[in-house]
Amino acid sequence: MVKKILKIEQLKTYFYTWAGIVKAVDGVDIDVNEGETLGLVGESGSGKSVTALSIIRIVPSPGKIVNGKIVYKGENLVEKNEKKLQDIRGKEIAYIFQDPATSLNPVFTIANQLMEVILRHQKISKKEALEKAIELFRLVEIPDPEIKIWNYPHQLSGGMKQRMAIARALASQPNLLLADEPTTNLDVTIQAQILELMKSLKKKLGMSMILITHDMGVVADIADRITVLYAGRVCETADTKTIFYNPKHPYTQALLTAVPSLALKTEKLKVIPGSLPNLIEPPSGCRFHPRCEYAQQGCIEKIPDLIEIEPGHKVACLRASELDLESPLGGMNYN
Amino acid sequence: MAAFDVLIAPFASNEIPAFYTGEARTPPSSKYLFGTDNIGHDVFSQVVFGSRSALYVGFGAAAIAMSIATIIGLVSGYYGGIVDNILMRITEIFLVIPFLLILLVFLKVITAVAPSGVGGLSMVTLMIGLFSWAANARIIRGEVLRVKEQEYIEASKTLGASRTRIIFRHILPNVLHIIIVLTTLMIATSILVEAGVSFLGFGDPNAITWGQQLQKASEAVKEAWWEGVFPGLFITLLVLGFSLLGNGLRDALDPRLRE
Repeated sequence: MVKKILKIEQLKTYFYTWAGIVKAVDGVDIDVNEGETLGLVGESGSGKSVTALSIIRIVPSPGKIVNGKIVYKGENLVEKNEKKLQDIRGKEIAYIFQDPATSLNPVFTIANQLMEVILRHQKISKKEALEKAIELFRLVEIPDPEIKIWNYPHQLSGGMKQRMAIARALASQPNLLLADEPTTNLDVTIQAQILELMKSLKKKLGMSMILITHDMGVVADIADRITVLYAGRVCETADTKTIFYNPKHPYTQALLTAVPSLALKTEKLKVIPGSLPNLIEPPSGCRFHPRCEYAQQGCIEKIPDLIEIEPGHKVACLRASELDLESPLGGMNYN
Repeated sequence: MAAFDVLIAPFASNEIPAFYTGEARTPPSSKYLFGTDNIGHDVFSQVVFGSRSALYVGFGAAAIAMSIATIIGLVSGYYGGIVDNILMRITEIFLVIPFLLILLVFLKVITAVAPSGVGGLSMVTLMIGLFSWAANARIIRGEVLRVKEQEYIEASKTLGASRTRIIFRHILPNVLHIIIVLTTLMIATSILVEAGVSFLGFGDPNAITWGQQLQKASEAVKEAWWEGVFPGLFITLLVLGFSLLGNGLRDALDPRLRE
């Protein structure tokens, strides 16, 4: 039996705005096994980032976790107080942001920022911290670490900055890394390099990772398992191969057909009609039903449960068993 | 000039009587550069020693005002919500008080009530400082509001930084450029206010200040222009200097004005 490092049950994070309660995350179940990479996939606004922010409990105001459990190594993070959380953040669970240009403090040198994190969680001298920082820089494959480390963030290129942000996240050897679209703001060649780096670092350091992205190409490359989110709920969870070759939820299938490189094989790029629903008053029943081509009366009335249809493959669709969805990659014959 | 006053001024001392030349109201000459006043005090020496008072008040009041403004701005901006509400209402009270009027009233009351020895130039400085932080606190708060939404602040949270650490290590350095600029402008304003207070006769009668000189000169503008023109000129020059310094610093430090 694989050990679970993180188990989220029925997480609900709501934002209390003037316009009403925005149910950004509304009953999400996720688990991450030790040493595994989980891809968290969904459109913009599907609740991916809010889920990740909820895990380390820095949901911005007016957001609040209203329900659910976030169990990390047997401890429920929802019940922890701020002081204990500060010790967990950065040391146990680290976060990589989408935009490296804005996630680094512009007024301090990189050495300064790296050492700050190291000294925060480890009791060592400044000199040792500096050595560690240089070591980290070498780890993220930045050339001339001894020189580059004295630069300010604006003196580095985008790819370098993201490497630096990764180095900072890894400073205290966290066991779980939350990467929130770490490659979205980088150009394609740098994207590939960063993904390669993260893959090798994960292996080297033996940590678990949640990779948040809307890019199916990225998760295909590095995730072991994938959870698909839609409008604050989980649609489908399965290992990467199953998601790509044997999707059971119409939304997953629609996502796959919307990937340009995969769609090329089926000559036409399909777009999912409509857009993400209003999360203040979400649609009744299955939240995807207004955009789903397979929707029936039952989908409007009943909220589908997340059901395990085969070991490790959970789907929240009333018609999961009857529908025979075709993957753009060509169905079950992938072996 | 203030630092070398003792060397520069021909009649050197902190006491006005020491400037006594014996020649009342003489126009500027090679002997008395800026002339002498109606009772025979050397105007140039007074101007030189007045710079000392001006800088004392300027730096002192600016230090007090900016310390209050920075703390209120940081706390109010970062914590937001009810804390922000309370602090900003207090700030607004200070903003709507007629500044010069309340300053004069307080100075009068304190010099009347307090035992002798309390008051004087330090009291003027303290009062100016205590009553002029409000506008700056609001500007700093606004800047904190902008900076705290930046991703690097969130990033430092994800790395386990505490609140005080975020405020002083991450937000403060990012609003420091504003604080520096506001400080130089505050110095200029304080000097002006002190000159005004002294001119109105509410200053420290024992201190040598440019405002006091102006007040004395106002009695005899026609007969002895030099008594008023020289201190006035130096007030203008010093204030202009600090204002230009402030503007220059703003251009140099504001990241948005950088190419």
